[in-house]
Amino acid sequence: MKGRILIIEDEILIASQLRDVLEDLDYTVVGMAANVPAARRLVLAGGIELALVDIHLSDGPTGLDLGREIGQGSDITVLYLTANPEMVRHGVPGTFGVMSKPTDDDSVRTAVAFAMQSRRGGPSLTAPRSLTVFG
Amino acid sequence: MTIELDAPRQAGIEAERLRVLRSYDILDTDPERAFDDVTRLAARICETPVAMVSLALGERLWFKARIGMADETGPELDSFCQHAMEYDGVYVVRDASIDPVYIDHPLVTGPAHYRFYAGAPLIDDQGMTLGMLCVVDTTARPDGLTETQHMTLEVLATQVMALMERRRALTARRLSDEQAEAAVEVALQASEKLAESEARFQAIADSMPQMVWSAGADGYHDYFNARWFDFTGQTATPSDTDAWSAQIHPECRDRALAAWQASLATGEPYEVEYRLKHHADGYRWTLGRATPIRNSAGTVTRWFGTGTDIEDIKRLEQAKALLSQELSHRIKNIFAVISALLSLSARHHAEAKDFAMSARNRIGALARAHEFVRPHIEESRPGIAGTTLAAFLLDLFKAYDGEDGVPRVRITGDDTIFDDQAATPVALLFHELATNAAKYGALSQPDGRVDLTLSHRGDRMILVWAERGGPELDGPPLIPGFGSTLLAMSVEGQLAGRLDLEWASEGLKVTVDVPRSALQPRRAAMAAA
Repeated sequence: MKGRILIIEDEILIASQLRDVLEDLDYTVVGMAANVPAARRLVLAGGIELALVDIHLSDGPTGLDLGREIGQGSDITVLYLTANPEMVRHGVPGTFGVMSKPTDDDSVRTAVAFAMQSRRGGPSLTAPRSLTVFG
Repeated sequence: MTIELDAPRQAGIEAERLRVLRSYDILDTDPERAFDDVTRLAARICETPVAMVSLALGERLWFKARIGMADETGPELDSFCQHAMEYDGVYVVRDASIDPVYIDHPLVTGPAHYRFYAGAPLIDDQGMTLGMLCVVDTTARPDGLTETQHMTLEVLATQVMALMERRRALTARRLSDEQAEAAVEVALQASEKLAESEARFQAIADSMPQMVWSAGADGYHDYFNARWFDFTGQTATPSDTDAWSAQIHPECRDRALAAWQASLATGEPYEVEYRLKHHADGYRWTLGRATPIRNSAGTVTRWFGTGTDIEDIKRLEQAKALLSQELSHRIKNIFAVISALLSLSARHHAEAKDFAMSARNRIGALARAHEFVRPHIEESRPGIAGTTLAAFLLDLFKAYDGEDGVPRVRITGDDTIFDDQAATPVALLFHELATNAAKYGALSQPDGRVDLTLSHRGDRMILVWAERGGPELDGPPLIPGFGSTLLAMSVEGQLAGRLDLEWASEGLKVTVDVPRSALQPRRAAMAAA
């Protein structure tokens, strides 16, 4: 088991495709949330290492604050995955970084692996091109 | 009441006498009590039935006062006065009926029956004889006037002159009063005109939809139109800078005041946006502008300013920006959804996997093109300077950069502006070339690289893609399948250019020759229009 991941994404097609890719890579997708309340419930349930957070959710552009809330309120690593990366280009306290949608499977693979490794304090690598890591 | 003179007089003397007489402003005036009293006294003292004050004006005589003489008394009388005026002192005709000068005079021979005449000259302070005070009797007086009568006539003549002088003084004073009044009137009219022009300015200023104000060269505001009072709900003109700037939102105040002080110091027009306190509606965004008024020497003498409520425009702008942002987000999300859909669709068909991946990558290139050229608001503007071809391509090729961040596609040459309509074919063209290079060409080898040279040639743009350090190719270059079709469609179809692929020993070389206008169709269309 390589890691437990929460997908916060309101587009079910994107969320499902992401889940397929991650599960192909032997990650465990603990859940998919389309809005803030669902995400909070899953976070409270615990056992999550990484959260992939879209900024625009079914209840509006709530992902930005939700990511901060999760990042600052728990030890979950928060990685934004959004079509509007500019909205967080100055960084968000408590979160790890951002990658742009649409993206390809390989970018997802390298970005998630990099985030997991950083979290676990593995040997430091160069961040993949597809990922912007917040200072 | 005038009588023609029958003897010519020297014109100069007459003209001067007339001028002097006019200065008394007495000619053709109504009888006056004071003159009548003096004249009556002369008749009483001299014991004559007739007495008069006659004034000589040119060829006429005019009587200021007449006692015992009918109005219709003929013009002939004047010859008595005419003669009398040529004498110094009192002139006396004791018996006209035997006086050779008057013996045939109609007044003597006619019903008037004049016999006795005595007249004292009316002499002004310059020694000029202006007329006579005279008494007339129908009975001859061989003894003439008594000494008392003689003296009385002289004294009364002096009195007549005194009355006339007094009259002249009064006239002069009245004239000067009139002049003063006229001057006052002129001043009043001027100030009325000024007041009228001020009223007109106020009417114009008050009818403007904007707030209007005016300030002296020192920046001291001394006028606000009605709109300003309506807007702010203030009732008194602010006494100083602190008072009017207190209406500006604290967050904007320093900025607005700094801009105002800068304009005062430099004389440059003032323009600043700030939030102004509305009497009922909180703070509203306001555009403040002012222009200096200069005198002929170029010195600023006043400032005229306006305040325009732009709250609604601001809100509209914000709504528009939000809408644009929302729309763009949806478009990008659709790219992501299509990409995910392709991936999910191909998932259970192993043979479709490669196809799905390349299609998804092309969709990714389109999404990048959209991201690059869409209208941005400040918040979402990518950190790329300007919409130039090189900047766009650098962004597109970032995915192929080396692990060390060094670009593997090097772009050199002449950059050019390009716009959104050209972004899609350009993105697809170079996405195919880069993907192909990554699979089969220079970018598939660790040391391989690509030189992309951009050059202007007249109204053409020549883009040369030259790969180096790729794997040994054992035949002419071949971009497989749909990729080559996409290249041709992009260059020859949409960009109206020519595409040339050649195989050199060091790698693939692609030459793209397109009209420069094809890279900026929007601009070209605007220039044509």
